[in-house]
Amino acid sequence: MVWRWGLFLYMSIVTVAAFLYAPMAKKLYEQTRIIYWHIPVAWVTVVAFLVCGWQSVRYLMTRDLADDARAASAATLGVLFCALATVTGAIFSKGMWGAYWNWDPRQTSIFFLLLIYAAYLTLRSATPEPARRARLAAVYGLFAAAITPLLIFVVPRLFFTLHPDPIVNTSGKLEMHPRMFQVFMASLVGFTVLFFWVYALDVRVRLAAMRAEGEWAGTGKDRVA
Amino acid sequence: MMRAAWAVFAKDVRTELRARYALSATFVFALSTLAIVSYAVGPSFGGRPELLAAFLWTVLLFSASAGLAQAFVREVERKTWFTLRLVAPPTAILLGKWAVNLVLLAATEALIVPMFLALFGIGFRSVFGFLAVTALATVGLSAAITLVAALLAQARAHGALVSALAFPLVFVPVMAAITGTRHTLVEPGVPPTELRILAAYAGVLVAMGLVLAEHVLED
Repeated sequence: MVWRWGLFLYMSIVTVAAFLYAPMAKKLYEQTRIIYWHIPVAWVTVVAFLVCGWQSVRYLMTRDLADDARAASAATLGVLFCALATVTGAIFSKGMWGAYWNWDPRQTSIFFLLLIYAAYLTLRSATPEPARRARLAAVYGLFAAAITPLLIFVVPRLFFTLHPDPIVNTSGKLEMHPRMFQVFMASLVGFTVLFFWVYALDVRVRLAAMRAEGEWAGTGKDRVA
Repeated sequence: MMRAAWAVFAKDVRTELRARYALSATFVFALSTLAIVSYAVGPSFGGRPELLAAFLWTVLLFSASAGLAQAFVREVERKTWFTLRLVAPPTAILLGKWAVNLVLLAATEALIVPMFLALFGIGFRSVFGFLAVTALATVGLSAAITLVAALLAQARAHGALVSALAFPLVFVPVMAAITGTRHTLVEPGVPPTELRILAAYAGVLVAMGLVLAEHVLED
Protein backbone atom coordinates (compact mmCIF):
# COMPACT_ATOMS: atom_id res chain seq x y z
CA MET A 1 0.00 0.00 0.00
CA VAL A 2 2.82 2.41 0.94
CA TRP A 3 4.59 1.56 -2.34
CA ARG A 4 1.48 2.26 -4.37
CA TRP A 5 0.83 5.69 -2.83
CA GLY A 6 4.53 6.52 -2.90
CA LEU A 7 4.73 5.73 -6.61
CA PHE A 8 1.54 7.72 -7.31
CA LEU A 9 3.00 10.75 -5.50
CA TYR A 10 6.37 10.34 -7.24
CA MET A 11 4.84 10.11 -10.74
CA SER A 12 2.59 13.11 -9.97
CA ILE A 13 5.65 15.19 -9.02
CA VAL A 14 7.45 14.07 -12.21
CA THR A 15 4.40 15.07 -14.29
CA VAL A 16 4.21 18.52 -12.68
CA ALA A 17 8.00 18.97 -13.04
CA ALA A 18 7.77 18.06 -16.76
CA PHE A 19 5.51 21.07 -17.30
CA LEU A 20 6.73 23.58 -14.73
CA TYR A 21 10.37 22.78 -13.87
CA ALA A 22 11.98 21.50 -17.07
CA PRO A 23 12.63 24.06 -19.83
CA MET A 24 11.65 23.51 -23.47
CA ALA A 25 14.27 22.09 -25.82
CA LYS A 26 15.47 24.05 -28.84
CA LYS A 27 13.32 23.45 -31.94
CA LEU A 28 11.00 21.09 -30.05
CA TYR A 29 9.04 23.79 -28.15
CA GLU A 30 6.02 22.32 -26.30
CA GLN A 31 6.68 18.91 -27.90
CA THR A 32 9.51 18.65 -25.37
CA ARG A 33 7.04 17.47 -22.70
CA ILE A 34 6.34 14.20 -24.42
CA ILE A 35 10.00 13.18 -24.04
CA TYR A 36 9.29 12.45 -20.36
CA TRP A 37 6.71 9.79 -21.30
CA HIS A 38 7.66 8.60 -24.76
CA ILE A 39 11.29 7.64 -24.08
CA PRO A 40 10.63 6.02 -20.65
CA VAL A 41 7.81 3.84 -22.04
CA ALA A 42 10.06 2.88 -24.99
CA TRP A 43 12.80 2.02 -22.44
CA VAL A 44 10.37 -0.05 -20.36
CA THR A 45 9.31 -1.86 -23.56
CA VAL A 46 12.90 -2.98 -24.10
CA VAL A 47 13.28 -3.93 -20.41
CA ALA A 48 10.05 -5.97 -20.58
CA PHE A 49 11.18 -7.84 -23.69
CA LEU A 50 14.60 -8.50 -22.11
CA VAL A 51 12.82 -9.93 -19.05
CA CYS A 52 10.69 -12.06 -21.41
CA GLY A 53 13.87 -13.35 -23.13
CA TRP A 54 15.57 -14.08 -19.79
CA GLN A 55 12.55 -15.92 -18.40
CA SER A 56 12.29 -17.89 -21.67
CA VAL A 57 15.89 -19.06 -21.19
CA ARG A 58 15.06 -19.95 -17.58
CA TYR A 59 12.01 -21.94 -18.66
CA LEU A 60 14.02 -23.99 -21.19
CA MET A 61 16.57 -24.75 -18.44
CA THR A 62 14.21 -25.46 -15.53
CA ARG A 63 10.92 -26.47 -17.26
CA ASP A 64 9.13 -24.71 -14.41
CA LEU A 65 5.81 -23.32 -15.71
CA ALA A 66 6.18 -20.41 -13.31
CA ASP A 67 9.07 -19.13 -15.46
CA ASP A 68 6.78 -19.34 -18.47
CA ALA A 69 4.16 -17.30 -16.60
CA ARG A 70 6.82 -14.67 -15.88
CA ALA A 71 7.84 -14.57 -19.56
CA ALA A 72 4.20 -14.26 -20.66
CA SER A 73 3.57 -11.49 -18.14
CA ALA A 74 6.65 -9.54 -19.29
CA ALA A 75 5.66 -9.94 -22.96
CA THR A 76 2.08 -8.80 -22.29
CA LEU A 77 3.26 -5.72 -20.41
CA GLY A 78 5.91 -5.14 -23.08
CA VAL A 79 3.21 -5.08 -25.76
CA LEU A 80 1.19 -2.61 -23.66
CA PHE A 81 4.18 -0.28 -23.17
CA CYS A 82 5.18 -0.72 -26.83
CA ALA A 83 1.67 0.40 -27.87
CA LEU A 84 2.04 3.42 -25.56
CA ALA A 85 5.45 4.22 -27.10
CA THR A 86 3.91 3.97 -30.58
CA VAL A 87 0.99 6.27 -29.67
CA THR A 88 3.13 8.85 -27.87
CA GLY A 89 5.58 8.75 -30.80
CA ALA A 90 2.70 9.38 -33.21
CA ILE A 91 1.56 12.39 -31.13
CA PHE A 92 5.12 13.77 -31.20
CA SER A 93 5.25 13.14 -34.95
CA LYS A 94 1.99 15.06 -35.52
CA GLY A 95 3.29 18.04 -33.55
CA MET A 96 6.71 18.10 -35.21
CA TRP A 97 6.14 16.91 -38.77
CA GLY A 98 2.42 17.41 -39.30
CA ALA A 99 1.39 13.76 -39.59
CA TYR A 100 0.75 11.06 -37.01
CA TRP A 101 2.49 8.45 -39.11
CA ASN A 102 5.12 8.78 -41.85
CA TRP A 103 6.92 5.39 -41.76
CA ASP A 104 9.96 6.90 -40.14
CA PRO A 105 12.49 4.07 -39.51
CA ARG A 106 12.16 4.38 -35.72
CA GLN A 107 8.37 4.40 -35.91
CA THR A 108 8.51 1.37 -38.17
CA SER A 109 10.97 -0.51 -35.93
CA ILE A 110 8.87 -0.04 -32.78
CA PHE A 111 5.75 -1.00 -34.75
CA PHE A 112 7.35 -4.26 -35.89
CA LEU A 113 8.54 -4.94 -32.35
CA LEU A 114 4.89 -4.62 -31.35
CA LEU A 115 3.92 -7.07 -34.10
CA ILE A 116 6.61 -9.60 -33.09
CA TYR A 117 5.42 -9.75 -29.48
CA ALA A 118 1.77 -9.69 -30.53
CA ALA A 119 2.67 -12.76 -32.62
CA TYR A 120 4.30 -14.27 -29.50
CA LEU A 121 1.00 -13.85 -27.63
CA THR A 122 -0.89 -15.26 -30.65
CA LEU A 123 1.31 -18.36 -30.62
CA ARG A 124 0.54 -18.81 -26.92
CA SER A 125 -3.20 -18.59 -27.53
CA ALA A 126 -2.94 -21.14 -30.37
CA THR A 127 -1.35 -23.79 -28.14
CA PRO A 128 -3.70 -25.14 -25.45
CA GLU A 129 -1.39 -27.63 -23.65
CA PRO A 130 0.55 -25.67 -20.96
CA ALA A 131 3.93 -27.44 -21.28
CA ARG A 132 3.97 -27.34 -25.08
CA ARG A 133 2.74 -23.73 -25.10
CA ALA A 134 5.52 -22.78 -22.69
CA ARG A 135 8.21 -24.50 -24.79
CA LEU A 136 7.09 -23.09 -28.16
CA ALA A 137 6.62 -19.60 -26.70
CA ALA A 138 10.06 -19.74 -25.05
CA VAL A 139 11.72 -20.63 -28.35
CA TYR A 140 9.82 -17.94 -30.28
CA GLY A 141 10.58 -15.47 -27.48
CA LEU A 142 14.29 -16.17 -27.84
CA PHE A 143 14.19 -15.69 -31.62
CA ALA A 144 12.37 -12.42 -31.04
CA ALA A 145 14.92 -11.36 -28.41
CA ALA A 146 17.76 -12.11 -30.87
CA ILE A 147 16.16 -9.97 -33.59
CA THR A 148 15.16 -7.07 -31.32
CA PRO A 149 18.66 -5.43 -31.29
CA LEU A 150 18.67 -5.45 -35.11
CA LEU A 151 15.28 -3.72 -35.12
CA ILE A 152 16.18 -1.13 -32.49
CA PHE A 153 19.80 -0.35 -33.32
CA VAL A 154 20.43 -1.36 -36.96
CA VAL A 155 17.30 -0.60 -39.04
CA PRO A 156 16.97 3.04 -37.87
CA ARG A 157 20.54 3.64 -39.02
CA LEU A 158 19.91 2.04 -42.42
CA PHE A 159 17.45 4.67 -43.58
CA PHE A 160 17.16 8.45 -43.38
CA THR A 161 15.24 9.40 -40.25
CA LEU A 162 13.59 12.59 -39.00
CA HIS A 163 13.64 11.22 -35.46
CA PRO A 164 15.83 13.22 -33.05
CA ASP A 165 19.12 11.66 -31.92
CA PRO A 166 18.92 9.33 -28.94
CA ILE A 167 19.50 11.01 -25.54
CA VAL A 168 23.11 9.90 -25.63
CA ASN A 169 23.94 10.39 -29.33
CA THR A 170 26.38 8.54 -31.58
CA SER A 171 29.27 10.80 -30.54
CA GLY A 172 28.63 9.82 -26.91
CA LYS A 173 27.55 13.35 -25.87
CA LEU A 174 24.58 14.17 -23.69
CA GLU A 175 22.79 17.10 -25.32
CA MET A 176 20.12 18.01 -22.78
CA HIS A 177 19.58 20.85 -20.36
CA PRO A 178 20.46 19.71 -16.78
CA ARG A 179 16.90 20.31 -15.49
CA MET A 180 15.44 18.42 -18.44
CA PHE A 181 17.84 15.59 -17.71
CA GLN A 182 16.81 15.50 -14.02
CA VAL A 183 13.11 15.22 -14.91
CA PHE A 184 13.83 12.73 -17.68
CA MET A 185 15.85 10.45 -15.38
CA ALA A 186 13.20 10.75 -12.65
CA SER A 187 10.55 9.70 -15.17
CA LEU A 188 12.72 6.82 -16.40
CA VAL A 189 13.11 5.52 -12.85
CA GLY A 190 9.39 6.02 -12.15
CA PHE A 191 8.24 4.09 -15.22
CA THR A 192 10.77 1.31 -14.53
CA VAL A 193 9.47 0.92 -10.96
CA LEU A 194 5.88 1.07 -12.28
CA PHE A 195 6.66 -1.75 -14.72
CA PHE A 196 8.22 -4.01 -12.08
CA TRP A 197 5.35 -3.34 -9.65
CA VAL A 198 2.66 -4.23 -12.24
CA TYR A 199 4.79 -7.17 -13.39
CA ALA A 200 5.00 -8.53 -9.82
CA LEU A 201 1.23 -8.20 -9.40
CA ASP A 202 0.49 -9.84 -12.76
CA VAL A 203 2.87 -12.75 -12.07
CA ARG A 204 1.19 -13.37 -8.70
CA VAL A 205 -2.23 -13.42 -10.38
CA ARG A 206 -1.01 -15.80 -13.10
CA LEU A 207 0.62 -18.16 -10.59
CA ALA A 208 -2.53 -18.15 -8.44
CA ALA A 209 -4.66 -18.96 -11.51
CA MET A 210 -2.29 -21.77 -12.55
CA ARG A 211 -2.37 -23.23 -9.05
CA ALA A 212 -6.18 -23.02 -8.96
CA GLU A 213 -6.42 -24.87 -12.28
CA GLY A 214 -3.95 -27.52 -11.18
CA GLU A 215 -1.39 -26.61 -13.86
CA TRP A 216 1.29 -25.71 -11.34
CA ALA A 217 1.93 -27.09 -7.86
CA GLY A 218 3.78 -24.00 -6.67
CA THR A 219 6.61 -23.59 -4.22
CA GLY A 220 6.57 -22.57 -0.58
CA LYS A 221 7.25 -18.93 -1.43
CA ASP A 222 6.37 -17.84 -4.96
CA ARG A 223 9.25 -16.08 -6.63
CA VAL A 224 8.09 -13.14 -8.72
CA ALA A 225 11.22 -12.08 -10.62
CA MET B 1 24.57 -35.70 -37.89
CA MET B 2 25.24 -34.26 -41.37
CA ARG B 3 24.46 -37.67 -42.88
CA ALA B 4 21.11 -37.70 -41.11
CA ALA B 5 20.42 -34.13 -42.30
CA TRP B 6 21.32 -35.16 -45.85
CA ALA B 7 18.96 -38.16 -45.56
CA VAL B 8 16.09 -35.87 -44.44
CA PHE B 9 16.90 -33.49 -47.31
CA ALA B 10 17.01 -36.33 -49.87
CA LYS B 11 13.74 -37.81 -48.56
CA ASP B 12 11.94 -34.47 -48.81
CA VAL B 13 13.31 -33.74 -52.27
CA ARG B 14 12.17 -37.20 -53.50
CA THR B 15 8.73 -36.69 -51.94
CA GLU B 16 8.49 -33.21 -53.44
CA LEU B 17 9.50 -34.36 -56.91
CA ARG B 18 6.87 -37.12 -56.70
CA ALA B 19 3.97 -34.89 -55.56
CA ARG B 20 5.28 -31.39 -56.44
CA TYR B 21 2.99 -29.96 -53.79
CA ALA B 22 5.13 -27.19 -52.30
CA LEU B 23 6.86 -26.52 -55.62
CA SER B 24 3.63 -25.97 -57.56
CA ALA B 25 2.00 -24.04 -54.69
CA THR B 26 4.96 -21.67 -54.48
CA PHE B 27 5.37 -21.24 -58.25
CA VAL B 28 1.66 -20.68 -58.94
CA PHE B 29 1.40 -18.27 -56.02
CA ALA B 30 4.49 -16.35 -57.17
CA LEU B 31 3.36 -16.16 -60.80
CA SER B 32 -0.15 -15.05 -59.85
CA THR B 33 1.14 -12.34 -57.52
CA LEU B 34 3.65 -11.16 -60.12
CA ALA B 35 0.92 -11.03 -62.79
CA ILE B 36 -1.38 -9.04 -60.48
CA VAL B 37 1.34 -6.53 -59.58
CA SER B 38 2.49 -6.15 -63.19
CA TYR B 39 -1.07 -5.76 -64.51
CA ALA B 40 -2.03 -3.34 -61.72
CA VAL B 41 0.80 -0.88 -62.40
CA GLY B 42 0.33 -1.15 -66.18
CA PRO B 43 2.68 -0.55 -69.12
CA SER B 44 2.95 3.20 -68.43
CA PHE B 45 4.67 2.56 -65.09
CA GLY B 46 7.88 4.57 -65.02
CA GLY B 47 9.88 1.96 -63.15
CA ARG B 48 10.91 3.73 -59.93
CA PRO B 49 13.62 1.47 -58.44
CA GLU B 50 12.35 1.67 -54.83
CA LEU B 51 8.89 0.50 -55.96
CA LEU B 52 10.29 -2.24 -58.20
CA ALA B 53 12.46 -3.61 -55.40
CA ALA B 54 9.49 -3.56 -53.00
CA PHE B 55 7.27 -5.33 -55.58
CA LEU B 56 9.86 -8.05 -56.15
CA TRP B 57 10.43 -8.84 -52.48
CA THR B 58 6.73 -8.66 -51.65
CA VAL B 59 6.06 -11.30 -54.31
CA LEU B 60 8.93 -13.46 -53.04
CA LEU B 61 7.95 -13.09 -49.37
CA PHE B 62 4.32 -14.09 -49.91
CA SER B 63 5.34 -16.98 -52.18
CA ALA B 64 7.82 -18.20 -49.57
CA SER B 65 5.21 -18.12 -46.82
CA ALA B 66 2.80 -20.09 -49.04
CA GLY B 67 5.19 -22.92 -49.90
CA LEU B 68 7.93 -23.12 -47.30
CA ALA B 69 5.61 -23.42 -44.31
CA GLN B 70 4.46 -26.86 -45.48
CA ALA B 71 7.72 -28.61 -44.54
CA PHE B 72 6.66 -29.79 -41.09
CA VAL B 73 2.87 -29.67 -41.44
CA ARG B 74 2.96 -32.45 -44.05
CA GLU B 75 4.84 -34.73 -41.66
CA VAL B 76 2.14 -34.15 -39.03
CA GLU B 77 -0.73 -34.61 -41.53
CA ARG B 78 0.77 -37.83 -42.97
CA LYS B 79 1.43 -39.07 -39.42
CA THR B 80 5.12 -39.58 -40.23
CA TRP B 81 6.28 -37.04 -37.67
CA PHE B 82 7.00 -39.45 -34.82
CA THR B 83 8.82 -41.88 -37.11
CA LEU B 84 10.99 -39.08 -38.39
CA ARG B 85 11.74 -38.01 -34.82
CA LEU B 86 12.73 -41.59 -33.97
CA VAL B 87 15.18 -42.01 -36.84
CA ALA B 88 16.82 -38.58 -36.92
CA PRO B 89 18.04 -36.13 -34.26
CA PRO B 90 16.23 -32.75 -34.06
CA THR B 91 19.19 -30.76 -35.41
CA ALA B 92 19.42 -33.03 -38.47
CA ILE B 93 15.67 -32.70 -39.14
CA LEU B 94 15.82 -28.92 -38.85
CA LEU B 95 18.90 -28.71 -41.09
CA GLY B 96 17.40 -31.06 -43.69
CA LYS B 97 14.07 -29.21 -43.81
CA TRP B 98 15.84 -25.85 -43.95
CA ALA B 99 18.00 -27.06 -46.87
CA VAL B 100 14.87 -28.13 -48.76
CA ASN B 101 13.26 -24.73 -48.15
CA LEU B 102 16.47 -22.99 -49.20
CA VAL B 103 16.46 -24.86 -52.53
CA LEU B 104 12.73 -24.25 -53.00
CA LEU B 105 13.06 -20.50 -52.41
CA ALA B 106 16.13 -20.31 -54.67
CA ALA B 107 14.20 -22.13 -57.42
CA THR B 108 11.29 -19.71 -57.03
CA GLU B 109 13.66 -16.77 -57.33
CA ALA B 110 15.31 -18.30 -60.41
CA LEU B 111 11.86 -18.45 -62.03
CA ILE B 112 10.45 -15.13 -60.83
CA VAL B 113 13.38 -12.72 -61.17
CA PRO B 114 13.90 -13.13 -64.96
CA MET B 115 10.13 -12.83 -65.50
CA PHE B 116 10.06 -9.77 -63.26
CA LEU B 117 12.87 -8.13 -65.26
CA ALA B 118 11.14 -8.97 -68.55
CA LEU B 119 7.69 -7.76 -67.47
CA PHE B 120 8.99 -4.43 -66.17
CA GLY B 121 11.63 -4.02 -68.90
CA ILE B 122 14.51 -3.35 -66.52
CA GLY B 123 18.00 -4.67 -65.79
CA PHE B 124 20.43 -4.59 -62.91
CA ARG B 125 23.41 -2.22 -62.87
CA SER B 126 25.15 -4.76 -60.63
CA VAL B 127 24.16 -8.36 -61.26
CA PHE B 128 26.75 -9.63 -58.77
CA GLY B 129 25.43 -7.24 -56.12
CA PHE B 130 21.88 -8.47 -56.66
CA LEU B 131 22.98 -12.11 -56.51
CA ALA B 132 24.83 -11.46 -53.24
CA VAL B 133 21.80 -9.68 -51.72
CA THR B 134 19.44 -12.41 -52.89
CA ALA B 135 21.68 -15.25 -51.68
CA LEU B 136 21.96 -13.84 -48.15
CA ALA B 137 18.28 -12.84 -48.00
CA THR B 138 17.32 -16.34 -49.15
CA VAL B 139 19.36 -17.91 -46.34
CA GLY B 140 17.74 -15.64 -43.72
CA LEU B 141 14.19 -15.88 -45.05
CA SER B 142 14.23 -19.64 -45.46
CA ALA B 143 15.75 -20.10 -41.97
CA ALA B 144 13.10 -17.86 -40.34
CA ILE B 145 10.15 -19.48 -42.14
CA THR B 146 11.49 -23.00 -41.48
CA LEU B 147 11.79 -22.27 -37.75
CA VAL B 148 8.30 -20.75 -37.56
CA ALA B 149 6.92 -23.71 -39.54
CA ALA B 150 8.57 -26.12 -37.09
CA LEU B 151 6.94 -24.32 -34.15
CA LEU B 152 3.54 -24.02 -35.78
CA ALA B 153 3.36 -27.67 -36.82
CA GLN B 154 3.01 -28.37 -33.08
CA ALA B 155 0.39 -25.64 -32.47
CA ARG B 156 -3.30 -25.50 -33.26
CA ALA B 157 -4.57 -23.60 -36.37
CA HIS B 158 -1.04 -23.61 -37.81
CA GLY B 159 -2.08 -22.78 -41.36
CA ALA B 160 -3.56 -19.42 -40.48
CA LEU B 161 -0.66 -18.35 -38.29
CA VAL B 162 2.37 -18.75 -40.55
CA SER B 163 2.26 -15.23 -41.98
CA ALA B 164 1.30 -13.69 -38.63
CA LEU B 165 4.31 -15.25 -36.90
CA ALA B 166 6.87 -15.18 -39.70
CA PHE B 167 6.36 -11.73 -41.28
CA PRO B 168 7.27 -9.64 -38.21
CA LEU B 169 10.39 -11.80 -37.76
CA VAL B 170 11.56 -11.29 -41.37
CA PHE B 171 11.02 -7.52 -41.46
CA VAL B 172 14.76 -6.80 -41.08
CA PRO B 173 16.04 -9.00 -43.95
CA VAL B 174 13.17 -8.01 -46.26
CA MET B 175 13.87 -4.29 -45.72
CA ALA B 176 17.60 -4.87 -46.23
CA ALA B 177 16.87 -6.92 -49.37
CA ILE B 178 14.61 -4.16 -50.75
CA THR B 179 17.16 -1.37 -50.20
CA GLY B 180 19.95 -3.65 -51.46
CA THR B 181 18.01 -4.53 -54.62
CA ARG B 182 17.16 -0.84 -55.19
CA HIS B 183 20.89 -0.10 -54.94
CA THR B 184 21.76 -2.77 -57.53
CA LEU B 185 19.09 -1.43 -59.93
CA VAL B 186 20.60 2.07 -60.06
CA GLU B 187 24.25 1.78 -59.04
CA PRO B 188 27.17 -0.51 -59.83
CA GLY B 189 28.84 -2.51 -57.06
CA VAL B 190 27.52 -4.28 -54.00
CA PRO B 191 25.57 -2.51 -51.21
CA PRO B 192 27.90 -3.16 -48.21
CA THR B 193 25.55 -2.08 -45.38
CA GLU B 194 22.68 -4.26 -46.58
CA LEU B 195 24.98 -7.24 -47.10
CA ARG B 196 26.29 -6.90 -43.54
CA ILE B 197 22.76 -6.72 -42.14
CA LEU B 198 21.61 -9.71 -44.19
CA ALA B 199 24.68 -11.71 -43.15
CA ALA B 200 24.17 -10.80 -39.48
CA TYR B 201 20.49 -11.74 -39.60
CA ALA B 202 21.16 -15.04 -41.38
CA GLY B 203 23.96 -15.84 -38.93
CA VAL B 204 21.80 -15.08 -35.88
CA LEU B 205 18.84 -17.12 -37.16
CA VAL B 206 20.90 -20.14 -38.22
CA ALA B 207 22.92 -20.14 -34.97
CA MET B 208 19.77 -19.79 -32.84
CA GLY B 209 18.10 -22.56 -34.84
CA LEU B 210 21.01 -24.94 -34.25
CA VAL B 211 21.25 -24.09 -30.54
CA LEU B 212 17.49 -24.41 -29.94
CA ALA B 213 16.78 -27.33 -32.31
CA GLU B 214 16.35 -29.76 -29.38
CA HIS B 215 13.69 -27.51 -27.88
CA VAL B 216 12.00 -26.68 -31.20
CA LEU B 217 11.45 -30.35 -32.08
CA GLU B 218 11.10 -31.90 -28.66
CA ASP B 219 7.80 -33.77 -29.09
